[in-house]
Amino acid sequence: MSIELLIQAALNGFGLAVVYILVALGLTLIFSILDIINFAHGEFYMLGGFVTYYAFAVFGVNYFMTLVLAVLVVGAAGVLAERVVFRHLRGKTLNAFIVSLGLLWVLQASAQLSFGVLDKSVPSAVSGIVRVFGLIMSRERLVVIVTASALMAALYVFLKFARTGQAMRAVAQDPDAAALQGVNIEAVLALGFGVGCALAGAAGALLAPVFAVSPTMGALPVVKAFIIIIVGGMGSLPGAVLGGLLLGAVEGIGTLFMTSAAVNMLGFLIVIAILLVRPRGLFGVA
Amino acid sequence: MITRRSTAILVVLTFALAVVGTGPAPAAEKTLAIGLLGPLSGGAASYGVELQRGAEMRSDEINKAGGLKVGGDVYKIKLVAYDHKAQAADAATATNKLVFQDKVKYIIGNAVGATCNAAQTITEPNKVMFGFVCWGTANLAPEKPYSFRSMLSQWELAEPFYRWVKENHPKVKRVAVISPNDTSGKDTNTAVVKALKGLAFEVTADEYYERGTKDFYPVLTKLLAQKPDMIDVAAAPAGEAGLILKQAMELGFKGAKGWTAGTNPFTIVGVAGREAAEGVWSPANINVKSEHVSGAVRKFGEGYEKRYGEVPGVIAVANYAAFDVFTQAMQRAGSVETDRVLEVLTKERFETVWGPLVIGGKETYGIDRQFLYPLVISEVRGGEIVDLAQVLPAALKKK
Repeated sequence: MSIELLIQAALNGFGLAVVYILVALGLTLIFSILDIINFAHGEFYMLGGFVTYYAFAVFGVNYFMTLVLAVLVVGAAGVLAERVVFRHLRGKTLNAFIVSLGLLWVLQASAQLSFGVLDKSVPSAVSGIVRVFGLIMSRERLVVIVTASALMAALYVFLKFARTGQAMRAVAQDPDAAALQGVNIEAVLALGFGVGCALAGAAGALLAPVFAVSPTMGALPVVKAFIIIIVGGMGSLPGAVLGGLLLGAVEGIGTLFMTSAAVNMLGFLIVIAILLVRPRGLFGVA
Repeated sequence: MITRRSTAILVVLTFALAVVGTGPAPAAEKTLAIGLLGPLSGGAASYGVELQRGAEMRSDEINKAGGLKVGGDVYKIKLVAYDHKAQAADAATATNKLVFQDKVKYIIGNAVGATCNAAQTITEPNKVMFGFVCWGTANLAPEKPYSFRSMLSQWELAEPFYRWVKENHPKVKRVAVISPNDTSGKDTNTAVVKALKGLAFEVTADEYYERGTKDFYPVLTKLLAQKPDMIDVAAAPAGEAGLILKQAMELGFKGAKGWTAGTNPFTIVGVAGREAAEGVWSPANINVKSEHVSGAVRKFGEGYEKRYGEVPGVIAVANYAAFDVFTQAMQRAGSVETDRVLEVLTKERFETVWGPLVIGGKETYGIDRQFLYPLVISEVRGGEIVDLAQVLPAALKKK
């Protein structure tokens, strides 16, 4: 097996890992701030895909404008979900978990009724391929990687330097202490849920032209995101990034040596091993 | 006072009433519930949607014509459909509901081999007639006498298709085959690989992926490293087949493309885009707008497009024809009892949208339960479907 093939396989894994990291970052952000394991997270990813389909493929809006639109629409949907549903379940982690499962089915069934059950194709915003030293990647995927990386960097800057981002981190660490410092807890929680969902929406919007959109498209990314955040550590943003890169490398390179079924199994074997050896994940806190 | 005259009138009237009472009754209208299973959502939903629409088209035609006349009865057909999402466990649950809750004796329509296996564990012991388009080899067998495949499968298609490739495209020598990792996929790859080896092609990859996969870069990187002249997306449903071809093109593949189980190339163009779908050969498709097909198929296609806004694929046509065959058999048997209908089905020929249809396949499956009709090899050109050749399956040639 050539080195070139190995590098190509790693590149393939990395290409998709950055998008799954976006989904995982949203999931882990919601968990760290609201203590909610949101099983409906994949449906917000799906919503982002459909916003792109209708705005870009049906109404011909500029592709990059549709990305902004998807972030805003899905973010608003997240804020709505927090205010209407999850706000009333604060502190009831198990109830919130069950309700998120219910929300998954409601959103998926609503999408099937509204958009139909068949895959819908979104045309490529950019076409062609890039070849470097024998390695190949489509321009479309390069746009995805660059945009997803930029969004991750923007999230980092927001959480690190923006007052609202700092307030989110404060609420994640100690809500009572944050409230005593004058942080509007209700607003921060709603915004945190919205930002988490917006990240999933951005991922769905980015991948809509690469794959296709369908009401069930969120199922696989959310499973990958759960693997990533369990490996990286629930609630840890650096952990989500590392977990995503690890999963991408395992899937990309593993496929060269194993069947796709075995590679899928490998991801879950890593989760089991991590939970047995280091239950809080690579970067999680006890 | 009762006279002899009035007594005689009374006797005559009583006799007349008795005669009328025991004479032939007017045809009573009844309801015949016919079940349908299918993946109506998820990655293989295109199959289920076509099955349902084909069934709706035929059952509505029958109902609008006054119902199905069987013996002295007239039946309104009621279609009962359940979604199994291409999952075997869900298929078993849905079949149980159809057989024991809805009391159906006919299930006409199902797709995806593993779900057929699951459904047959319920249909066979309960003598429920089961027509499907599943491609699982084990779906037809002597111990499954109530099961019929209403569409040509990989075993009827692969050999004539690759014989045509060999004769018309001699530069194609190395072929990679990829299918979903389930019963349909395994059976299809098995038949395709057998046909390829029998015709002296080199099989560079016999590959599988998990249903629902969207990113095929990893598996395609491995597959393309073997430098095939042709990729056959064998049993992949339209959505996944389109993504495979699109991503293969992105990774630099420029060779020939085949889709042995390609049931609706119109849909693959939508997902893969015109460039990636260009040149895809399919032996399983039917182009309802082609001059090669019968007037009945063209009429069906026009009605379907008018009603649903889409061009029907082969699965819609197959299930429309299956409804036709089973209901014709009921009429000829003069009964809806499955054992009596079974006798007719296995002995007679039927006029359908395919033209004359024969049920055979004993040499492959050990029992005659496979619908046989001519296949047309088509190619995608500029986003359109162009028919290239009409070929007879070997089993039909023998008939």
